[in-house]
Amino acid sequence: MSGLRLTLRGTPPGSVDCSPLAPDLLAGKSRKDIEAIELQCGNRRLRVGELFAVEGDDPNTVAFRGGSARLLRIGAGMKSGSVTVEGECGDYLGFGMRGGAISIAGDAGAFAGSGMRAGRIEIRGNAGDFLGAALPGDRQGMRGGAIVVHGSAGDRAGDRMRRGLILIKGNAGSYCGARVLAGTILVAGEAGYAPGYGLKRGTLLLERAPRELLPTFRDSGVHSLLFLALLEKEMLREGGPFTAFLPLAGRVRRFCGDLATGGAGEILVRV
Amino acid sequence: MIVNGVTIDDTFAEAFGMRGTRILITALNLKWAHHAARAVTGFATSVIGCGCEAGIERELSAEETPDGRPGVSVLLFAVSGKELAKQVERRVGQCVLTSPSSAVFSGLEGEPINLGRNLRFFGDGYQMSKMIGGRRYWRVPVMDGEFLCEETTGMVRAVGGGNFLVLASGQIEALAACEAAIAAMSKVPGAIAPFPGGVVRSGSKVGSRYKALTASTNDAFCPTLRGAVKTELTPEVGAVLEIVIDGLTDADVRNAMRAGIGAVCEVGAAGGVLRVSAGNYGGKLGQFHYPLREIMR
Repeated sequence: MSGLRLTLRGTPPGSVDCSPLAPDLLAGKSRKDIEAIELQCGNRRLRVGELFAVEGDDPNTVAFRGGSARLLRIGAGMKSGSVTVEGECGDYLGFGMRGGAISIAGDAGAFAGSGMRAGRIEIRGNAGDFLGAALPGDRQGMRGGAIVVHGSAGDRAGDRMRRGLILIKGNAGSYCGARVLAGTILVAGEAGYAPGYGLKRGTLLLERAPRELLPTFRDSGVHSLLFLALLEKEMLREGGPFTAFLPLAGRVRRFCGDLATGGAGEILVRV
Repeated sequence: MIVNGVTIDDTFAEAFGMRGTRILITALNLKWAHHAARAVTGFATSVIGCGCEAGIERELSAEETPDGRPGVSVLLFAVSGKELAKQVERRVGQCVLTSPSSAVFSGLEGEPINLGRNLRFFGDGYQMSKMIGGRRYWRVPVMDGEFLCEETTGMVRAVGGGNFLVLASGQIEALAACEAAIAAMSKVPGAIAPFPGGVVRSGSKVGSRYKALTASTNDAFCPTLRGAVKTELTPEVGAVLEIVIDGLTDADVRNAMRAGIGAVCEVGAAGGVLRVSAGNYGGKLGQFHYPLREIMR
């Protein structure tokens, strides 16, 4: 058996909701069944066979060949298996996912990992705005799992995040970690304007000191925090993309805040 | 059965089902990990009066601990899950949380009982939770930085009260043999000897002539009562010491007993050891029986 390969026939005529192509939803389906699945494409419905050339027969591994920013909700709600995209993808990547792994070779659109509860998303390019963030009106964003971005992330990464780990190898946009309820965000590059705005709990770990910190963050001094050693060990155990962010343990300058929202969160800056 | 001049009695040790857990205590260095571990296992010789039985299982290298610091593995046993949970929380709260540079982690998979779940409230609202690798940890701010503790530890069905008695020509000889046994048993994982130095001199029998007491001195093995009671001692026995063993599994207790009795026999008759016996209640009270001769075969 070989993994299912979905090769894009051309640029889709509209935005395509790819959520029905999650591995667990395809389990037990033949290639013919999969080709017959209807996907919402703009204001009409198109069959999978019309959009993609379908090869392979193991839906536990789904590979999208030829990415497009019009491919939305890839891996949304998936519970198991793996999805790879050999290119870019659109918004809502891994939206509400419950398990499994997604790997994107290119860029991802907005709201990647929003509402996810478990599993792992790896974005080898850049991530759009609202990475792991809550949808407007939602109380919580990402609620578990891990997102690894090898490039940079847009604005408001982790907005209202509740649990989980976001690793950004490049830069993060403005309001990174805004209104975070809990969880950990690591930015190996530079964080943009007002990191941790409205941070309630949770940790922003920054490799570089931000150019400007909100006045509602206060310096707690330089510390060695044991949980970072624990996190480092876990990332070593996970291996793969996580190792690119190591070592983690060491001394950090701790800024507690956002004092405007209770001050129980923290921004840690490596020293 | 005679091994190196030591008679192994044709009897068995009788042990009971208990609940057990393992916690890992780490610190800046081994010295401070031991300080915390010794405190947490203090006054934990017998469930009769201490609430639990506890001991240091072994030292842990930095590579073996979750936080990459040296540490000590501790086993705790109690008669019920509820009592074990109470003892773990109270002891860790008073003895590990208070110990400089310490951190505490679960060392066992099993039914979860609280480790840091309630201790976190010492943080007075400044405590922070971290989910790492599917486990929840609490960071509690304290005066030397942060106390890091895992939320729960695992509890398993365990065995308590495995034992053997060392009958020797005198106190010095009995103690030397027991020290050799404890040294050998310390290498066996999953088992501890909870009494001071691993050795107990006040072995007990069930009941007492005093109504308030449920246990009293094991007169049949007291050398000074020879002649006054129905004794188990021959005239040449000058002292008896007991080693009590708690283990996470039946096999752990068996292995520890084998190692301990083996070490006692190595000391042998030349070292003043005369007999090895064991304590039991006729086999009717405890679920676990450890026939000495079968173990040493």
